[in-house]
Amino acid sequence: MTRAELLQTFRSTASEISEKDMQSVTEAGVISELGIDSLELLEVIGSLERDLNVRIPDDQLVGIQTVGQLLNLVADKLPKAG
Amino acid sequence: MTPFERDTLVSCLSKLPRGDARGFRFRAIDGTDRYYPFEALEREAKARAALLAGLGLRKGDRIALVIADPAEFVLSFLGAAIAGIVPVPIYPRASFKAKNAYVETVGHIVKASGAKALLIMEATKPVVEEVLAHDTGLSRLVILEELLQQPAAAFETPAIEPEDLCFLQFTSGSTSMPKGVMVTHRNLVENARAFLGPRGIDRRDEDVAVTWLPLYHDMGLIGFVLGTIVCNIPTVLMPTEAFGRRPNLWLETIHKYRGTITFAPNFAYGLATKRARDKDLEDLDLSCVRLAGCGAEPINARVMREFAERFARCGFKATALMPAYGMAESTLAITFHERDTPIMTDVVDAEKMKTGFAVKAAPGPNTLELVCCGHPFPKHELKVVDQQGHTLPQRRVGEIWSHGPSVTKGYYGNPEATAQAFTDGWLHTGDLGYMADGNLYVCGRLKDLIIIRGANHYPQDLEWAVAEVEGVRRDNAVAFSVMRDGEETLIIAAEGNSADAAALRKSIAAKVVETAGLTVGHVAVVKVGSLPKTSSGKVQRRRTKALFESGQLEEHPS
Repeated sequence: MTRAELLQTFRSTASEISEKDMQSVTEAGVISELGIDSLELLEVIGSLERDLNVRIPDDQLVGIQTVGQLLNLVADKLPKAG
Repeated sequence: MTPFERDTLVSCLSKLPRGDARGFRFRAIDGTDRYYPFEALEREAKARAALLAGLGLRKGDRIALVIADPAEFVLSFLGAAIAGIVPVPIYPRASFKAKNAYVETVGHIVKASGAKALLIMEATKPVVEEVLAHDTGLSRLVILEELLQQPAAAFETPAIEPEDLCFLQFTSGSTSMPKGVMVTHRNLVENARAFLGPRGIDRRDEDVAVTWLPLYHDMGLIGFVLGTIVCNIPTVLMPTEAFGRRPNLWLETIHKYRGTITFAPNFAYGLATKRARDKDLEDLDLSCVRLAGCGAEPINARVMREFAERFARCGFKATALMPAYGMAESTLAITFHERDTPIMTDVVDAEKMKTGFAVKAAPGPNTLELVCCGHPFPKHELKVVDQQGHTLPQRRVGEIWSHGPSVTKGYYGNPEATAQAFTDGWLHTGDLGYMADGNLYVCGRLKDLIIIRGANHYPQDLEWAVAEVEGVRRDNAVAFSVMRDGEETLIIAAEGNSADAAALRKSIAAKVVETAGLTVGHVAVVKVGSLPKTSSGKVQRRRTKALFESGQLEEHPS
């Protein structure tokens, strides 16, 4: 999965769960400014975990502020493309 | 006193059936589980009681608990109770919230409770240990994993009496002035036997309770841990975080363990309905559920109906839904709707409600549909009073007061707040409601509390956070909630220049997400000096809310 695809997955998932348009969200986007609350964000993460078959422990989410930082966490767990 | 009336949490725990047929099952986020038959639960809790006493803690001392793992939390809580040590549950930090604000909150609760020790798990140490730097009176931080490595010391269990303090429930008060409700063993046993008894849930031997509710909050802690111990009900507990990541897990867990009893705030029923796809429903059998309670925030009749309709094909019975009303100051439950009967609603004239009269109306525009929360339990009484404390007739809106053995002794170390909320054994709930045909309808709030997704938020906490946003000054912002489409919605009104309005709206909303994890329904940016204030310059929340609701709050155009 490319980074662009990962971002796109995030956008679609966040749009679906928050019922708001997240298609223009960028990696620099600050999560608290996206217009989704903490419960919705947790659900977005849960959904990414299932779709991508990764597990992101709660402790590692501490201090995450931007979409890019969150995607770094996810990307680190993905199997590396051969 | 009959032996029954002498019961405490600890005596009830020791009377639970032996063997491994009944107990608590803790389901982890990865699907694995830890099962503790009641016997093992008590044995493990007793071992912890000895270890806690070994720290030098004595009967009546307080110990604060910040433990996210449900199994470790329950065992530690029970261990403290057996040793007569008073547990003070504190919510674990949510990942996205600011660390400093969290540490401050913990510090305030530790200080208000006079806790000598704070029990945490290794993983939370980097965040929570900063509390030690605050002036809280705390003498030690105890790491649970290290405590469990200690050799068991000889320990004699102290006698626990019904009037002894069982735990402090900190769900009231603002962040800077938290209030710890003093729950005695008698309060707990009386309330549990009331709400699980014949006029409430009417427990059966074949019941299985299932929950994801947080255990630092009364509905989860008393409803699904302490209450189910008092009344011998096998219980399945999953972490709140697991429900947060995947709401479908709630109903799947009920299905898997054939749950018969569950409880959740209104929002969770709405979320479960929204997230269930047709294919998820195919394998879901909810015919086992005989009681699905709803409480902790305003109940929306539409959300309840939609849940019942959506899951009817899974065998879910609409009559299982049971609205409830309660609060920590009354231990947990105050009223339950009659079980096994359809939800009842009352449609009233919205205009007349503004003047305090609940006048029945035909459904249509300018009406409100309120959900019936039922009646009080045996040994308990309820009344609706005016500002002078006089009982009001039926269908007149006033403050709800509650009386009975579930009403707690008030707030720990806070006689002023206690005197305000409790008089002659009557709890002044601060909620507004009316009685009709012996049933309670809750319709508003006298206090400025904001309740969203079952969690209490104090306006001053949100206002102080918003005041940190550049361009907003303290006392120039107010937080309040309004009902929108039957759901409580947060509104922030702040003074600012029209040129900055768009930027302010954005940064205020972001600040609220950061500090409280909430989305703001609307940020109203108004002309500087235009928010209604008292003579001493304090913003008037209710006046602002009334202006907003009547469309008279003049906002800068967006």
